[in-house]
Amino acid sequence: MITSIEASPLYPIANPKSIALFGASNNASSMGTSLLDSVLDLGFEGEIYPIHPKEDQVQNHKAYRSALDLPKVPDLALIVLPTRLVPETIDACGRKGIKHAIVISGGFKEVGGNGVKLEKDLIAAAKKHDMRFLGPNCIGVANPRRKLNTTFMTLEGGPGFIGMASQSGSFVTQMFTYLSQYAMGFSTAFSVGNEANIDIVDCMEYLGACPDTKVIALYIEGIRRGRAFVEMARSIVPKKPIVAFYIGGSEAGSRAGLSHTGALAGPDKLYDGIFRQSGIIRARSIMEMFDYCWILGALPRSTGRRVLIQTHSGGPGAEAADACGRAGLELPSLSPEAIKRVRPLMPQTGSISNPLDFTFGKNLTDYFSEIPKALLEEKNTDYLLFYFFTPSRRLKRMLRQVGVPPDQIPEQAARLVDFQSDTILRLIETHDKPFVGFTFQSLTDPLLRKLVERGVPIFPGPQRAARAIEAAYRYTRLRDKILASVSQE
Amino acid sequence: MQADDLIRSALHRGQRALSEYESKKLLELYGIPVAREELSHSVDEAVSATDGLGFPVVLKACSAELMHKSERGCIELNLRSKRDVHEAYERIIRSVDLELEGVLVQEMVPGQRELVVGLNRNPQFGPCVMLGIGGILTEVFQDTVFRIAPFDMVEAKDMTEQLRFKEILGSFRGQKPADMDILCRTLIAVGRIGLELETVSELDINPMIITPEGRLVAVDALVVLKRDGNDNID
Repeated sequence: MITSIEASPLYPIANPKSIALFGASNNASSMGTSLLDSVLDLGFEGEIYPIHPKEDQVQNHKAYRSALDLPKVPDLALIVLPTRLVPETIDACGRKGIKHAIVISGGFKEVGGNGVKLEKDLIAAAKKHDMRFLGPNCIGVANPRRKLNTTFMTLEGGPGFIGMASQSGSFVTQMFTYLSQYAMGFSTAFSVGNEANIDIVDCMEYLGACPDTKVIALYIEGIRRGRAFVEMARSIVPKKPIVAFYIGGSEAGSRAGLSHTGALAGPDKLYDGIFRQSGIIRARSIMEMFDYCWILGALPRSTGRRVLIQTHSGGPGAEAADACGRAGLELPSLSPEAIKRVRPLMPQTGSISNPLDFTFGKNLTDYFSEIPKALLEEKNTDYLLFYFFTPSRRLKRMLRQVGVPPDQIPEQAARLVDFQSDTILRLIETHDKPFVGFTFQSLTDPLLRKLVERGVPIFPGPQRAARAIEAAYRYTRLRDKILASVSQE
Repeated sequence: MQADDLIRSALHRGQRALSEYESKKLLELYGIPVAREELSHSVDEAVSATDGLGFPVVLKACSAELMHKSERGCIELNLRSKRDVHEAYERIIRSVDLELEGVLVQEMVPGQRELVVGLNRNPQFGPCVMLGIGGILTEVFQDTVFRIAPFDMVEAKDMTEQLRFKEILGSFRGQKPADMDILCRTLIAVGRIGLELETVSELDINPMIITPEGRLVAVDALVVLKRDGNDNID
């Protein structure tokens, strides 16, 4: 286990200062051109050297005939060439002294036939020069903090705390916008492709040491270095959580697995045990994996599973209680101290139990301030699960009813939203107890958006919230199990 | 080493598996509790074996060729007298047309709770240990959990907690909880067999009975061997 990412072969791949790009041209429809455009679009700050056998200029950059003609040795070669040209290109890079590459090109082992031989040639060429490479048949790496995006898709959304290693490129690129809905993003994301040289275990090692990565996400179709995988995971989990989504368990899934990267899929139950032995939290879907990442990366760590629910509506509160029960969470009673604090704030119709139901409140401001304050300070719980219903038109109607002049309503409403969100943010940020929201509204709602952008997890519906809380609890159990093993040795 | 010798001589005789008797000898060498039994080669030997074992006993045809015994009339359960044993022995000899290594006379282990413990090999992960709900309903419940070897007591305990029907290991209708220490040691030992004996390709302990006192006893076992050359072990 490395202590610094700089010791990883992936460091120059995820943090290059200069890149030689093979495959970009002045043909706008080629994949290499699109890739160069994608690198430039994010504003990569290092040097870029397009390599082209005929052109002098590629997309307004001076082009070079071959790796050997480059004025300096770049940190990274990025290769998007026809399959048959890749081994000789790697060889040329090696002769130039380039030590790291990403091979985007497909057509290798995954297609069988001559592709198998070409992959062997590729591996041999890299070995001859002591080169390390990611791929082939991958889409490379996204490192938003370094403004690096070697995928041909646009990187939307900002950097985040999720370190990802994926056996599908789509679950890197097509998750950029998905994650930005939740104001989440990648610290670094790797698409590993055929794992001919660098594999998912190497990526885990890098992400384990990466200071920007708070939680590691894995998309797995099949693990090649099984025992190394387990050992690597067990060395990381005491420090940071790992969440995985594995395909290959069901018959249909395993067919997809085979045709995709030629990976060998193991039976579902075996992987279930291996993940648990590795201390990895297994998710049932990609969305669930990122739900788990949200809680694990955004919240202070709690070791328990007691949840207090705050609602102002019966149905959503009852559903949340049901969801918590099904997820294996506990719903503690309020302590006498908390009851004493909350009682004066509650209307006659309210219910001071768990869920705590404010109903149609005396003073709505209390719902966002004094009540959650009391609950965040309650010793009888590990989490506060909070129901949000903040429709902006209703707010405006209320302002009109209390006599606010129509021309002042938009401004007053915005100010009220700011006040409510600031109040609750201050509470969340000054208390150690993890706060989780759920709602049926869109997360584009102004109040919710503000909270989400400040890192407050607010889930669509209570089931996702409850399952994510349970995953965080599972993490502490898995971590403790591994630590108990270590201390026994 | 004895385990190596046991396997080497079985391979030498051309066996694809260890017989039940040999399988349990191997388990015993690894400290796994097995049912008390004697291998008899005649009616007289079978009858006199009961002097040491007491009653009731079970008689089982024993041969490395017999991997699945229950459906072939080669088991006689709950025999309570020497006369029962005598008659059962002759029924078994009549119904099985294989050359037998002998007839096993085994203590009848009481208990309704049955586990299965197994070993298989995975090309990526190496030897994998399985624990599950055993007996005739193994396939119905399909409650099995896996770990890759080696693992320690903490992990073995976690493995038992992963069973869906883990309550079977606790107090159950007046019966004592299973001896978790022995169960965990058994799981670790099966992993060691996988790590130390490359010629063992698969292993099944089914059932491993939990007695009303909570003892664990391997009642039946099968060790499948990997032979040299390109023999297909599947």
